[in-house]
Amino acid sequence: MKFKYSPMDWVFKVVTAAAALTIVVIFAGILFVLIRESKPAIQAFGVFKFIFSTDWDPVKESFGAATNLFGTLVTTFLSLLLAMPVAIGIAIFLTEIAPSFLKGPFGVAIEMLAAIPSIIYGMWGLFTLSPLMGNHIEPWLQNTIGKLPLIGILFQGTPMGVDLLTASLILSIMVIPFTASIARDAFQLTPAIVKESAYAMGATKWEVVKNVVLPYSKLGVFGGAVLSLGRALGETMAVAFVLGNNHQITKSLFDAAATITVTLANEFTEASGRIYLSSLFYIALLLFVLSFVLLTAAKLLLFKTGKQENPR
Amino acid sequence: MSERTRKIESALALVLSTLAALVGLFWLVFILGDVIMKGASAITPSLFLHNPTPEGVEGGGLKNAFVGQGLITLFATLFGVPIGLLGGTFLAEYAGHGKVTRMISALSDIMISVPTMVVGTFIYAVMVKPLGHFSGWAGSVALAVVMVPVVLRTTENMLRLVPWTLREAAFALGAPKYKVITQVVYRGAITGIFTGVLLSIARVAGETAPLLFTSFSNNFFSTDMKGPVASLTVTIFQYAMGPYDDWHQQAWAAALVITLFILAITIVGRIFIKLRYGNK
Repeated sequence: MKFKYSPMDWVFKVVTAAAALTIVVIFAGILFVLIRESKPAIQAFGVFKFIFSTDWDPVKESFGAATNLFGTLVTTFLSLLLAMPVAIGIAIFLTEIAPSFLKGPFGVAIEMLAAIPSIIYGMWGLFTLSPLMGNHIEPWLQNTIGKLPLIGILFQGTPMGVDLLTASLILSIMVIPFTASIARDAFQLTPAIVKESAYAMGATKWEVVKNVVLPYSKLGVFGGAVLSLGRALGETMAVAFVLGNNHQITKSLFDAAATITVTLANEFTEASGRIYLSSLFYIALLLFVLSFVLLTAAKLLLFKTGKQENPR
Repeated sequence: MSERTRKIESALALVLSTLAALVGLFWLVFILGDVIMKGASAITPSLFLHNPTPEGVEGGGLKNAFVGQGLITLFATLFGVPIGLLGGTFLAEYAGHGKVTRMISALSDIMISVPTMVVGTFIYAVMVKPLGHFSGWAGSVALAVVMVPVVLRTTENMLRLVPWTLREAAFALGAPKYKVITQVVYRGAITGIFTGVLLSIARVAGETAPLLFTSFSNNFFSTDMKGPVASLTVTIFQYAMGPYDDWHQQAWAAALVITLFILAITIVGRIFIKLRYGNK
Protein backbone atom coordinates (compact mmCIF):
# COMPACT_ATOMS: atom_id res chain seq x y z
CA MET A 1 0.00 0.00 0.00
CA LYS A 2 1.23 3.47 -0.80
CA PHE A 3 0.69 6.50 1.42
CA LYS A 4 -1.27 9.37 0.07
CA TYR A 5 1.64 11.55 -0.99
CA SER A 6 1.25 15.19 -0.17
CA PRO A 7 3.36 17.80 -2.02
CA MET A 8 3.88 19.47 1.35
CA ASP A 9 5.77 16.37 2.36
CA TRP A 10 8.28 16.92 -0.41
CA VAL A 11 8.65 20.61 0.43
CA PHE A 12 9.21 19.89 4.12
CA LYS A 13 11.82 17.27 3.36
CA VAL A 14 13.74 19.55 0.99
CA VAL A 15 13.64 22.47 3.45
CA THR A 16 14.94 20.39 6.34
CA ALA A 17 17.62 18.81 4.15
CA ALA A 18 18.78 22.27 3.10
CA ALA A 19 18.95 23.33 6.74
CA ALA A 20 21.04 20.28 7.63
CA LEU A 21 23.40 21.03 4.75
CA THR A 22 23.99 24.57 6.09
CA ILE A 23 26.48 23.07 8.54
CA VAL A 24 28.52 21.64 5.68
CA VAL A 25 28.20 24.90 3.76
CA ILE A 26 29.36 26.97 6.75
CA PHE A 27 32.30 24.66 7.33
CA ALA A 28 33.38 24.65 3.69
CA GLY A 29 32.72 28.39 3.51
CA ILE A 30 35.01 29.15 6.45
CA LEU A 31 37.78 27.02 4.97
CA PHE A 32 37.39 28.51 1.49
CA VAL A 33 37.17 32.14 2.63
CA LEU A 34 40.11 31.87 5.02
CA ILE A 35 42.29 30.32 2.30
CA ARG A 36 41.20 32.99 -0.19
CA GLU A 37 41.91 35.83 2.23
CA SER A 38 45.29 34.50 3.28
CA LYS A 39 46.47 33.90 -0.30
CA PRO A 40 48.68 37.03 -0.50
CA ALA A 41 50.44 35.99 2.71
CA ILE A 42 50.75 32.37 1.57
CA GLN A 43 52.35 33.57 -1.66
CA ALA A 44 54.65 35.96 0.16
CA PHE A 45 55.80 33.71 2.98
CA GLY A 46 55.06 30.12 1.93
CA VAL A 47 53.87 27.50 4.38
CA PHE A 48 56.82 26.14 6.35
CA LYS A 49 58.70 29.41 6.32
CA PHE A 50 55.63 31.15 7.73
CA ILE A 51 55.10 28.56 10.45
CA PHE A 52 58.70 28.64 11.63
CA SER A 53 59.45 32.32 11.24
CA THR A 54 59.48 34.35 14.45
CA ASP A 55 59.11 37.64 12.56
CA TRP A 56 56.10 39.77 13.38
CA ASP A 57 56.95 43.17 12.05
CA PRO A 58 54.09 45.31 10.74
CA VAL A 59 56.47 48.10 9.71
CA LYS A 60 58.66 45.95 7.45
CA GLU A 61 55.62 43.82 6.55
CA SER A 62 57.41 40.62 7.46
CA PHE A 63 55.28 38.05 9.25
CA GLY A 64 55.57 34.54 10.67
CA ALA A 65 53.35 32.44 12.87
CA ALA A 66 55.97 30.93 15.19
CA THR A 67 55.50 33.35 18.10
CA ASN A 68 51.72 33.02 17.96
CA LEU A 69 51.88 29.26 17.68
CA PHE A 70 54.34 29.17 20.57
CA GLY A 71 52.01 31.12 22.86
CA THR A 72 48.99 29.12 21.79
CA LEU A 73 50.64 25.74 22.30
CA VAL A 74 52.33 26.62 25.61
CA THR A 75 49.18 28.05 27.21
CA THR A 76 47.06 25.19 25.88
CA PHE A 77 49.29 22.39 27.14
CA LEU A 78 50.10 24.07 30.43
CA SER A 79 46.41 24.68 31.10
CA LEU A 80 45.64 21.04 30.44
CA LEU A 81 48.48 19.99 32.72
CA LEU A 82 47.01 22.12 35.50
CA ALA A 83 43.42 21.10 34.82
CA MET A 84 43.80 17.34 34.38
CA PRO A 85 44.51 16.30 38.01
CA VAL A 86 41.72 18.52 39.33
CA ALA A 87 39.25 17.33 36.69
CA ILE A 88 39.98 13.66 37.32
CA GLY A 89 39.74 14.26 41.06
CA ILE A 90 36.35 15.88 40.57
CA ALA A 91 35.19 12.96 38.44
CA ILE A 92 36.33 10.45 41.09
CA PHE A 93 34.63 12.53 43.77
CA LEU A 94 31.38 12.67 41.81
CA THR A 95 31.24 8.99 40.92
CA GLU A 96 32.80 7.25 43.91
CA ILE A 97 32.86 9.49 46.97
CA ALA A 98 30.05 12.04 47.04
CA PRO A 99 26.91 10.99 48.92
CA SER A 100 23.96 11.02 46.53
CA PHE A 101 22.41 14.16 48.02
CA LEU A 102 25.58 16.07 47.11
CA LYS A 103 25.97 14.74 43.57
CA GLY A 104 23.21 16.87 42.04
CA PRO A 105 24.12 20.25 43.55
CA PHE A 106 27.84 19.71 43.02
CA GLY A 107 27.29 18.71 39.41
CA VAL A 108 25.30 21.92 38.91
CA ALA A 109 28.10 23.96 40.50
CA ILE A 110 30.65 22.55 38.05
CA GLU A 111 28.22 23.21 35.21
CA MET A 112 27.96 26.83 36.37
CA LEU A 113 31.72 27.12 36.04
CA ALA A 114 31.35 26.08 32.40
CA ALA A 115 28.51 28.53 31.80
CA ILE A 116 30.37 31.65 32.90
CA PRO A 117 31.28 33.54 29.71
CA SER A 118 34.94 33.77 28.83
CA ILE A 119 34.95 37.58 28.88
CA ILE A 120 34.11 37.36 32.60
CA TYR A 121 37.06 35.02 33.16
CA GLY A 122 39.26 37.47 31.29
CA MET A 123 38.13 40.50 33.25
CA TRP A 124 38.38 38.70 36.58
CA GLY A 125 41.84 37.55 35.54
CA LEU A 126 42.93 41.09 34.77
CA PHE A 127 41.63 42.79 37.90
CA THR A 128 41.82 40.04 40.52
CA LEU A 129 43.98 37.07 39.59
CA SER A 130 46.78 38.90 37.80
CA PRO A 131 47.71 41.22 40.73
CA LEU A 132 47.46 38.24 43.08
CA MET A 133 49.83 36.25 40.88
CA GLY A 134 52.23 39.13 40.34
CA ASN A 135 52.46 40.21 43.98
CA HIS A 136 52.23 36.98 45.91
CA ILE A 137 52.15 33.67 44.09
CA GLU A 138 54.82 34.24 41.46
CA PRO A 139 57.46 35.69 43.84
CA TRP A 140 56.78 32.73 46.10
CA LEU A 141 57.21 30.29 43.21
CA GLN A 142 60.41 32.03 42.25
CA ASN A 143 61.80 31.60 45.75
CA THR A 144 60.90 27.93 45.94
CA ILE A 145 60.72 26.05 42.63
CA GLY A 146 62.65 28.81 40.89
CA LYS A 147 65.75 27.90 42.90
CA LEU A 148 65.86 24.36 41.55
CA PRO A 149 68.28 23.57 38.74
CA LEU A 150 66.86 23.06 35.22
CA ILE A 151 63.20 23.84 36.07
CA GLY A 152 64.31 27.10 37.66
CA ILE A 153 64.83 28.65 34.25
CA LEU A 154 61.04 28.63 33.72
CA PHE A 155 60.57 30.97 36.65
CA GLN A 156 63.03 33.74 35.83
CA GLY A 157 62.30 37.39 35.33
CA THR A 158 60.22 40.00 37.10
CA PRO A 159 56.83 38.60 38.09
CA MET A 160 54.23 40.95 36.66
CA GLY A 161 51.16 38.75 36.66
CA VAL A 162 50.65 39.41 32.94
CA ASP A 163 52.30 36.32 31.55
CA LEU A 164 52.04 32.75 30.27
CA LEU A 165 51.47 31.26 33.74
CA THR A 166 48.50 33.48 34.65
CA ALA A 167 46.90 32.96 31.24
CA SER A 168 47.34 29.18 31.51
CA LEU A 169 45.85 29.14 35.00
CA ILE A 170 42.73 30.98 33.81
CA LEU A 171 42.43 28.64 30.84
CA SER A 172 42.77 25.65 33.15
CA ILE A 173 39.87 26.87 35.30
CA MET A 174 37.76 27.18 32.14
CA VAL A 175 38.73 23.73 30.92
CA ILE A 176 38.16 21.87 34.22
CA PRO A 177 34.37 21.50 33.81
CA PHE A 178 34.60 20.02 30.28
CA THR A 179 37.28 17.52 31.20
CA ALA A 180 35.57 16.63 34.48
CA SER A 181 32.16 16.02 32.94
CA ILE A 182 33.53 13.81 30.16
CA ALA A 183 35.71 11.90 32.63
CA ARG A 184 32.66 11.42 34.87
CA ASP A 185 30.59 10.10 31.96
CA ALA A 186 33.42 7.75 31.04
CA PHE A 187 33.75 6.51 34.64
CA GLN A 188 30.04 5.81 34.80
CA LEU A 189 30.32 3.47 31.83
CA THR A 190 32.29 1.01 33.95
CA PRO A 191 29.90 -1.89 34.56
CA ALA A 192 28.95 -2.11 38.23
CA ILE A 193 29.52 -5.84 38.19
CA VAL A 194 33.23 -5.46 37.36
CA LYS A 195 33.66 -3.00 40.21
CA GLU A 196 31.75 -5.22 42.58
CA SER A 197 33.94 -8.20 41.73
CA ALA A 198 37.00 -6.15 42.63
CA TYR A 199 35.43 -5.10 45.91
CA ALA A 200 34.59 -8.74 46.61
CA MET A 201 38.28 -9.56 46.19
CA GLY A 202 38.95 -7.15 49.03
CA ALA A 203 40.18 -4.22 46.95
CA THR A 204 40.06 -0.78 48.55
CA LYS A 205 38.12 2.04 46.92
CA TRP A 206 41.28 3.59 45.47
CA GLU A 207 42.43 0.24 44.10
CA VAL A 208 39.08 -0.14 42.36
CA VAL A 209 39.41 3.32 40.82
CA LYS A 210 43.04 2.81 39.86
CA ASN A 211 42.89 -0.77 38.62
CA VAL A 212 39.34 -1.10 37.31
CA VAL A 213 37.65 2.23 36.58
CA LEU A 214 40.63 4.13 35.11
CA PRO A 215 41.81 1.36 32.77
CA TYR A 216 38.22 0.80 31.69
CA SER A 217 37.61 4.46 30.90
CA LYS A 218 41.05 5.63 29.77
CA LEU A 219 39.98 6.16 26.16
CA GLY A 220 37.10 8.36 27.26
CA VAL A 221 39.25 10.35 29.65
CA PHE A 222 41.88 10.80 26.96
CA GLY A 223 39.20 11.89 24.48
CA GLY A 224 37.99 14.43 27.02
CA ALA A 225 41.52 15.74 27.42
CA VAL A 226 41.93 16.17 23.67
CA LEU A 227 38.55 17.90 23.45
CA SER A 228 39.66 20.26 26.20
CA LEU A 229 42.85 20.96 24.26
CA GLY A 230 40.69 21.89 21.28
CA ARG A 231 38.64 24.23 23.44
CA ALA A 232 41.62 25.87 25.11
CA LEU A 233 43.30 26.34 21.75
CA GLY A 234 40.60 28.65 20.44
CA GLU A 235 39.85 30.56 23.61
CA THR A 236 40.19 34.29 23.12
CA MET A 237 38.75 36.58 25.70
CA ALA A 238 39.92 34.68 28.79
CA VAL A 239 43.55 35.13 27.78
CA ALA A 240 43.35 38.41 25.85
CA PHE A 241 43.58 40.46 29.05
CA VAL A 242 46.48 38.74 30.77
CA LEU A 243 48.95 37.67 28.10
CA GLY A 244 50.39 41.02 27.03
CA ASN A 245 50.50 40.42 23.24
CA ASN A 246 54.27 40.12 23.09
CA HIS A 247 55.54 38.60 19.83
CA GLN A 248 58.55 36.75 21.16
CA ILE A 249 59.51 33.20 21.99
CA THR A 250 60.47 33.34 25.62
CA LYS A 251 62.00 30.93 28.09
CA SER A 252 60.26 31.93 31.30
CA LEU A 253 56.64 31.36 32.24
CA PHE A 254 56.74 34.85 33.75
CA ASP A 255 57.09 36.47 30.32
CA ALA A 256 54.34 38.01 28.28
CA ALA A 257 53.47 36.21 25.04
CA ALA A 258 50.93 36.19 22.23
CA THR A 259 48.50 33.52 21.08
CA ILE A 260 46.83 33.38 17.68
CA THR A 261 43.53 34.45 19.18
CA VAL A 262 45.01 37.32 21.22
CA THR A 263 46.88 38.62 18.17
CA LEU A 264 43.66 38.55 16.17
CA ALA A 265 41.67 40.30 18.91
CA ASN A 266 44.23 43.05 19.32
CA GLU A 267 45.42 43.67 15.79
CA PHE A 268 42.69 42.72 13.35
CA THR A 269 40.78 45.98 13.28
CA GLU A 270 43.96 48.04 13.22
CA ALA A 271 45.78 46.08 10.55
CA SER A 272 46.73 48.35 7.72
CA GLY A 273 48.13 46.98 4.52
CA ARG A 274 47.14 43.99 2.48
CA ILE A 275 49.92 41.66 3.65
CA TYR A 276 49.31 42.46 7.35
CA LEU A 277 45.60 41.67 7.18
CA SER A 278 46.26 38.65 5.01
CA SER A 279 48.78 37.31 7.54
CA LEU A 280 46.16 37.65 10.25
CA PHE A 281 43.76 35.59 8.14
CA TYR A 282 46.59 33.12 7.62
CA ILE A 283 47.08 32.53 11.36
CA ALA A 284 43.27 32.26 11.73
CA LEU A 285 43.40 29.56 9.06
CA LEU A 286 46.16 27.75 10.95
CA LEU A 287 44.07 27.92 14.12
CA PHE A 288 41.02 26.59 12.29
CA VAL A 289 42.93 23.66 10.83
CA LEU A 290 44.68 22.89 14.13
CA SER A 291 41.48 22.88 16.17
CA PHE A 292 39.66 20.88 13.49
CA VAL A 293 42.31 18.18 13.63
CA LEU A 294 42.26 18.06 17.44
CA LEU A 295 38.47 18.04 17.69
CA THR A 296 38.18 15.32 15.07
CA ALA A 297 40.68 13.22 17.01
CA ALA A 298 38.68 13.80 20.19
CA LYS A 299 35.48 12.89 18.37
CA LEU A 300 36.95 9.61 17.16
CA LEU A 301 38.27 8.73 20.62
CA LEU A 302 34.95 9.49 22.30
CA PHE A 303 33.07 7.69 19.54
CA LYS A 304 35.12 4.60 20.32
CA THR A 305 34.04 4.71 23.94
CA GLY A 306 30.48 4.74 22.68
CA LYS A 307 29.63 7.94 24.44
CA GLN A 308 28.89 11.19 22.63
CA GLU A 309 30.00 14.51 23.99
CA ASN A 310 27.26 16.59 25.59
CA PRO A 311 26.31 19.48 23.36
CA ARG A 312 26.14 22.32 25.79
CA MET B 1 51.64 -4.34 50.77
CA SER B 2 50.10 -4.78 54.16
CA GLU B 3 46.42 -4.14 54.59
CA ARG B 4 47.16 -1.12 56.73
CA THR B 5 49.24 0.70 54.11
CA ARG B 6 46.67 -0.16 51.45
CA LYS B 7 43.93 1.38 53.56
CA ILE B 8 46.01 4.47 54.23
CA GLU B 9 46.83 4.81 50.54
CA SER B 10 43.16 4.55 49.67
CA ALA B 11 42.15 7.11 52.26
CA LEU B 12 44.84 9.47 51.00
CA ALA B 13 43.68 9.17 47.39
CA LEU B 14 40.08 9.82 48.40
CA VAL B 15 41.07 12.87 50.42
CA LEU B 16 42.99 14.20 47.39
CA SER B 17 39.97 13.69 45.13
CA THR B 18 37.74 15.51 47.59
CA LEU B 19 40.30 18.31 47.70
CA ALA B 20 40.20 18.50 43.89
CA ALA B 21 36.44 18.88 44.09
CA LEU B 22 36.88 21.67 46.63
CA VAL B 23 39.38 23.38 44.32
CA GLY B 24 36.74 23.43 41.57
CA LEU B 25 34.20 24.83 43.99
CA PHE B 26 36.74 27.37 45.25
CA TRP B 27 37.23 28.85 41.76
CA LEU B 28 33.48 29.10 41.22
CA VAL B 29 32.93 30.89 44.54
CA PHE B 30 35.98 33.10 44.00
CA ILE B 31 34.96 34.23 40.49
CA LEU B 32 31.23 34.55 41.11
CA GLY B 33 31.75 36.22 44.49
CA ASP B 34 34.15 38.73 42.97
CA VAL B 35 31.80 39.56 40.10
CA ILE B 36 28.83 39.90 42.44
CA MET B 37 30.66 42.06 44.99
CA LYS B 38 32.30 44.40 42.52
CA GLY B 39 29.32 44.44 40.17
CA ALA B 40 26.55 44.98 42.71
CA SER B 41 28.09 48.17 44.08
CA ALA B 42 28.32 49.58 40.55
CA ILE B 43 24.77 48.87 39.47
CA THR B 44 22.76 52.09 39.38
CA PRO B 45 19.59 53.10 37.55
CA SER B 46 21.61 55.36 35.29
CA LEU B 47 23.55 52.32 34.02
CA PHE B 48 20.38 51.19 32.26
CA LEU B 49 18.84 54.58 31.51
CA HIS B 50 21.71 56.63 30.13
CA ASN B 51 24.10 56.41 27.23
CA PRO B 52 27.86 56.71 27.63
CA THR B 53 29.28 60.15 28.30
CA PRO B 54 32.21 61.38 26.18
CA GLU B 55 35.51 59.73 27.03
CA GLY B 56 36.93 60.87 30.38
CA VAL B 57 33.70 62.46 31.59
CA GLU B 58 32.25 60.75 34.69
CA GLY B 59 28.76 59.31 34.75
CA GLY B 60 26.62 58.00 31.98
CA GLY B 61 25.47 54.44 31.45
CA LEU B 62 25.38 51.58 29.01
CA LYS B 63 21.84 51.81 27.69
CA ASN B 64 23.17 51.60 24.14
CA ALA B 65 25.02 48.37 24.89
CA PHE B 66 22.06 46.72 26.64
CA VAL B 67 19.75 47.52 23.73
CA GLY B 68 22.40 46.58 21.16
CA GLN B 69 23.17 43.26 22.83
CA GLY B 70 19.45 42.50 22.93
CA LEU B 71 19.01 43.29 19.24
CA ILE B 72 22.05 41.32 18.09
CA THR B 73 21.10 38.29 20.20
CA LEU B 74 17.44 38.48 19.12
CA PHE B 75 18.27 38.44 15.40
CA ALA B 76 20.93 35.77 15.91
CA THR B 77 18.20 33.63 17.51
CA LEU B 78 15.78 34.36 14.66
CA PHE B 79 18.40 33.31 12.07
CA GLY B 80 20.04 30.46 13.91
CA VAL B 81 17.20 28.62 15.66
CA PRO B 82 15.02 27.78 12.61
CA ILE B 83 18.03 26.48 10.65
CA GLY B 84 19.25 24.39 13.56
CA LEU B 85 15.76 23.11 14.30
CA LEU B 86 15.00 22.07 10.73
CA GLY B 87 18.47 20.61 10.23
CA GLY B 88 18.12 18.53 13.39
CA THR B 89 14.69 17.40 12.16
CA PHE B 90 16.18 16.17 8.89
CA LEU B 91 18.89 14.19 10.64
CA ALA B 92 16.52 12.55 13.11
CA GLU B 93 13.47 11.99 10.90
CA TYR B 94 14.58 11.57 7.29
CA ALA B 95 18.22 10.61 7.20
CA GLY B 96 18.15 7.62 9.53
CA HIS B 97 21.49 6.39 10.76
CA GLY B 98 23.34 6.49 7.46
CA LYS B 99 26.79 7.80 6.64
CA VAL B 100 25.63 11.28 5.66
CA THR B 101 23.75 11.71 8.93
CA ARG B 102 26.72 10.60 10.97
CA MET B 103 29.01 12.91 9.05
CA ILE B 104 26.77 15.95 9.51
CA SER B 105 26.28 15.14 13.20
CA ALA B 106 30.01 14.79 13.75
CA LEU B 107 30.69 17.98 11.81
CA SER B 108 28.18 19.84 14.02
CA ASP B 109 29.84 18.51 17.15
CA ILE B 110 33.15 19.81 15.86
CA MET B 111 31.62 23.15 14.86
CA ILE B 112 30.27 23.53 18.42
CA SER B 113 33.85 23.70 19.68
CA VAL B 114 35.48 25.53 16.78
CA PRO B 115 37.13 28.79 17.91
CA THR B 116 34.49 31.51 17.76
CA MET B 117 37.24 33.97 16.89
CA VAL B 118 37.61 32.19 13.55
CA VAL B 119 33.88 32.66 12.93
CA GLY B 120 34.41 36.38 13.53
CA THR B 121 37.16 36.62 10.92
CA PHE B 122 35.04 34.61 8.46
CA ILE B 123 32.02 36.91 8.79
CA TYR B 124 34.34 39.92 8.56
CA ALA B 125 35.59 38.64 5.22
CA VAL B 126 32.14 37.95 3.77
CA MET B 127 29.96 40.67 5.31
CA VAL B 128 32.10 43.54 6.57
CA LYS B 129 34.95 43.86 4.06
CA PRO B 130 32.78 43.84 0.91
CA LEU B 131 30.46 46.51 2.34
CA GLY B 132 33.27 48.54 3.84
CA HIS B 133 31.71 49.01 7.27
CA PHE B 134 30.87 47.10 10.46
CA SER B 135 27.23 46.21 11.00
CA GLY B 136 24.87 44.79 13.57
CA TRP B 137 23.66 42.32 10.94
CA ALA B 138 27.15 40.89 10.61
CA GLY B 139 27.25 40.45 14.40
CA SER B 140 23.92 38.63 14.40
CA VAL B 141 24.97 36.34 11.57
CA ALA B 142 28.26 35.54 13.35
CA LEU B 143 26.38 34.57 16.51
CA ALA B 144 23.87 32.58 14.45
CA VAL B 145 26.76 30.59 12.95
CA VAL B 146 27.85 29.73 16.50
CA MET B 147 24.26 28.85 17.40
CA VAL B 148 23.20 26.58 14.52
CA PRO B 149 25.27 23.49 15.42
CA VAL B 150 24.20 23.69 19.09
CA VAL B 151 20.48 23.82 18.24
CA LEU B 152 20.87 21.21 15.52
CA ARG B 153 22.49 18.62 17.77
CA THR B 154 20.10 19.07 20.70
CA THR B 155 17.09 18.94 18.37
CA GLU B 156 18.38 15.75 16.76
CA ASN B 157 18.97 14.12 20.16
CA MET B 158 15.60 15.18 21.54
CA LEU B 159 13.66 13.98 18.49
CA ARG B 160 15.40 10.61 18.65
CA LEU B 161 14.07 10.23 22.21
CA VAL B 162 10.47 10.30 20.93
CA PRO B 163 9.31 6.66 20.66
CA TRP B 164 8.75 5.25 17.15
CA THR B 165 5.41 3.77 18.17
CA LEU B 166 4.05 7.31 18.51
CA ARG B 167 4.95 8.03 14.88
CA GLU B 168 3.53 4.70 13.73
CA ALA B 169 0.26 5.43 15.47
CA ALA B 170 0.00 8.73 13.60
CA PHE B 171 0.93 7.10 10.26
CA ALA B 172 -1.75 4.50 10.84
CA LEU B 173 -4.31 7.28 11.00
CA GLY B 174 -3.19 8.30 7.51
CA ALA B 175 -1.24 11.41 8.41
CA PRO B 176 1.45 12.48 5.91
CA LYS B 177 4.98 12.51 7.26
CA TYR B 178 5.36 16.28 7.62
CA LYS B 179 2.19 16.36 9.70
CA VAL B 180 3.42 13.52 11.86
CA ILE B 181 6.64 15.43 12.48
CA THR B 182 5.17 18.86 13.09
CA GLN B 183 2.12 17.80 15.08
CA VAL B 184 3.18 14.65 16.88
CA VAL B 185 6.97 14.38 17.13
CA TYR B 186 7.58 18.08 17.84
CA ARG B 187 4.96 17.97 20.59
CA GLY B 188 6.63 15.02 22.22
CA ALA B 189 10.01 16.73 22.22
CA ILE B 190 8.96 20.33 22.79
CA THR B 191 10.47 20.67 26.28
CA GLY B 192 13.81 19.33 25.18
CA ILE B 193 13.94 21.45 22.06
CA PHE B 194 12.94 24.56 23.97
CA THR B 195 15.68 23.90 26.52
CA GLY B 196 18.20 23.46 23.73
CA VAL B 197 17.19 26.83 22.31
CA LEU B 198 17.49 28.44 25.76
CA LEU B 199 20.95 26.99 26.29
CA SER B 200 22.09 28.11 22.85
CA ILE B 201 20.96 31.65 23.69
CA ALA B 202 22.94 31.45 26.93
CA ARG B 203 25.92 30.28 24.93
CA VAL B 204 25.96 33.16 22.44
CA ALA B 205 24.88 35.92 24.85
CA GLY B 206 28.31 35.81 26.45
CA GLU B 207 30.30 35.64 23.21
CA THR B 208 32.73 38.44 22.53
CA ALA B 209 35.18 37.17 19.94
CA PRO B 210 32.70 36.87 17.04
CA LEU B 211 31.45 40.42 17.62
CA LEU B 212 34.80 42.21 17.74
CA PHE B 213 35.13 42.58 13.96
CA THR B 214 31.48 42.32 12.98
CA SER B 215 29.13 44.50 15.01
CA PHE B 216 32.21 46.24 16.48
CA SER B 217 31.17 48.87 19.01
CA ASN B 218 29.39 52.17 19.09
CA ASN B 219 29.54 54.91 21.73
CA PHE B 220 26.16 56.22 20.72
CA PHE B 221 22.69 54.81 20.97
CA SER B 222 21.89 53.06 17.72
CA THR B 223 19.30 50.53 16.67
CA ASP B 224 20.40 50.72 13.05
CA MET B 225 21.55 47.18 12.33
CA LYS B 226 23.17 48.36 9.09
CA GLY B 227 25.82 50.21 11.09
CA PRO B 228 28.05 49.31 14.04
CA VAL B 229 26.03 48.40 17.14
CA ALA B 230 27.29 48.37 20.74
CA SER B 231 27.19 45.08 22.63
CA LEU B 232 27.71 44.46 26.33
CA THR B 233 30.55 42.02 25.86
CA VAL B 234 32.63 44.15 23.51
CA THR B 235 31.98 47.15 25.76
CA ILE B 236 33.26 45.18 28.76
CA PHE B 237 36.41 44.37 26.78
CA GLN B 238 36.99 48.02 25.90
CA TYR B 239 36.11 49.43 29.29
CA ALA B 240 38.16 46.92 31.26
CA MET B 241 41.21 47.62 29.09
CA GLY B 242 40.59 51.38 29.35
CA PRO B 243 42.33 53.73 31.77
CA TYR B 244 39.38 55.15 33.75
CA ASP B 245 38.07 53.85 37.10
CA ASP B 246 34.60 54.88 36.09
CA TRP B 247 34.85 52.57 33.06
CA HIS B 248 36.05 49.67 35.20
CA GLN B 249 33.06 50.14 37.51
CA GLN B 250 30.64 50.02 34.59
CA ALA B 251 32.42 47.00 33.13
CA TRP B 252 31.95 45.13 36.44
CA ALA B 253 28.28 46.07 36.53
CA ALA B 254 27.78 44.88 32.96
CA ALA B 255 29.69 41.69 33.77
CA LEU B 256 27.37 41.01 36.70
CA VAL B 257 24.22 41.56 34.61
CA ILE B 258 25.39 39.28 31.80
CA THR B 259 26.62 36.56 34.18
CA LEU B 260 23.36 36.48 36.14
CA PHE B 261 21.37 36.41 32.88
CA ILE B 262 23.33 33.44 31.56
CA LEU B 263 23.35 31.50 34.84
CA ALA B 264 19.61 32.04 35.23
CA ILE B 265 18.92 30.68 31.73
CA THR B 266 21.20 27.70 32.36
CA ILE B 267 19.44 26.85 35.62
CA VAL B 268 15.97 27.22 34.11
CA GLY B 269 17.05 24.93 31.25
CA ARG B 270 18.25 22.32 33.72
CA ILE B 271 15.00 22.45 35.65
CA PHE B 272 12.97 21.93 32.45
CA ILE B 273 15.06 18.91 31.48
CA LYS B 274 14.77 17.46 34.94
CA LEU B 275 10.99 17.87 35.02
CA ARG B 276 10.57 16.32 31.59
CA TYR B 277 13.17 13.58 31.44
CA GLY B 278 13.87 12.83 35.09
CA ASN B 279 17.37 12.62 36.43
CA LYS B 280 19.71 13.27 33.52
